[in-house]
Amino acid sequence: MSKKPGKGTSKRVHIISRKDGWAIKKQGASRASKIYQKKETAIKNAQKLRKTGHDVIVHKKDGSIQKWEKPKK
Amino acid sequence: MTAEQNDFAKNVFINCPFDTTFIPLLRPLIFTILYLGYTPKIATERSDSGEARINKIRELIEQSKLSIHDLSRIRSAKRDEFYRMNMPFELGVDIGCRFFKEGRARDKKCLVLEKEKYRYQKALSDMSGSDIKNHNDEPEELVRQVRNWFVENEIQHADSGTKIWETFNEFMADFYQKRQDERFKDRDLEMMPLQEYIRFIHEWLKEKSK
Repeated sequence: MSKKPGKGTSKRVHIISRKDGWAIKKQGASRASKIYQKKETAIKNAQKLRKTGHDVIVHKKDGSIQKWEKPKK
Repeated sequence: MTAEQNDFAKNVFINCPFDTTFIPLLRPLIFTILYLGYTPKIATERSDSGEARINKIRELIEQSKLSIHDLSRIRSAKRDEFYRMNMPFELGVDIGCRFFKEGRARDKKCLVLEKEKYRYQKALSDMSGSDIKNHNDEPEELVRQVRNWFVENEIQHADSGTKIWETFNEFMADFYQKRQDERFKDRDLEMMPLQEYIRFIHEWLKEKSK
């Protein structure tokens, strides 16, 4: 692999399934910032970070990728 | 310790379905084993049509100190579908190896996973009283159960189940991106040989630890 995992040109924020809901976790952060009961609410909140240059990566319950949104310019 | 003994101590035989319905659990299972520094051994790792499957399985069981058996798919899911006996059969071979073989085989340890806590007793009452873990078909719970079993049996310390689960999700993003760049389609990813997936995780973990 040519570049270090997770050290691409963009910043990433993940929406990850958790036992108690859906977590928003910035890549590289030691823990999830917040857990929401509804996935839609987690996505909506994470999307605010697109304005600050973050990719928003929405995972399915099994960890695979449901949606990948690029930052808003 | 010789290289062969070392491999034996680190090898984990995986006995589970390898069809697409189990992929959501199989991917995090393989990732967790590699994350903890062990080597998953699966019957699909060599694809020699001339080799009898049972010989391959026997060899993998002999080579592996540890094993993980998932019995969550032994029950038929719809009418007229056969129940699946490969998993309990291979569990029996593995336990038999520990019982009847001399030497290092006596050190073998196994983790048996099921969907629900006591369901297996209806189909496999010989295992009553054994410590079987359930994952409720939840990938995150499977990661936690597997991690806890390693800590209870093999290693002193490991990252939390939550940390491993979150790292797996980050891995899946890199995996997806790289495969997209290489023009793989979703179906290619579903059908990808497990050895290729394992190699990718290996490289990713190596890079991440630098």
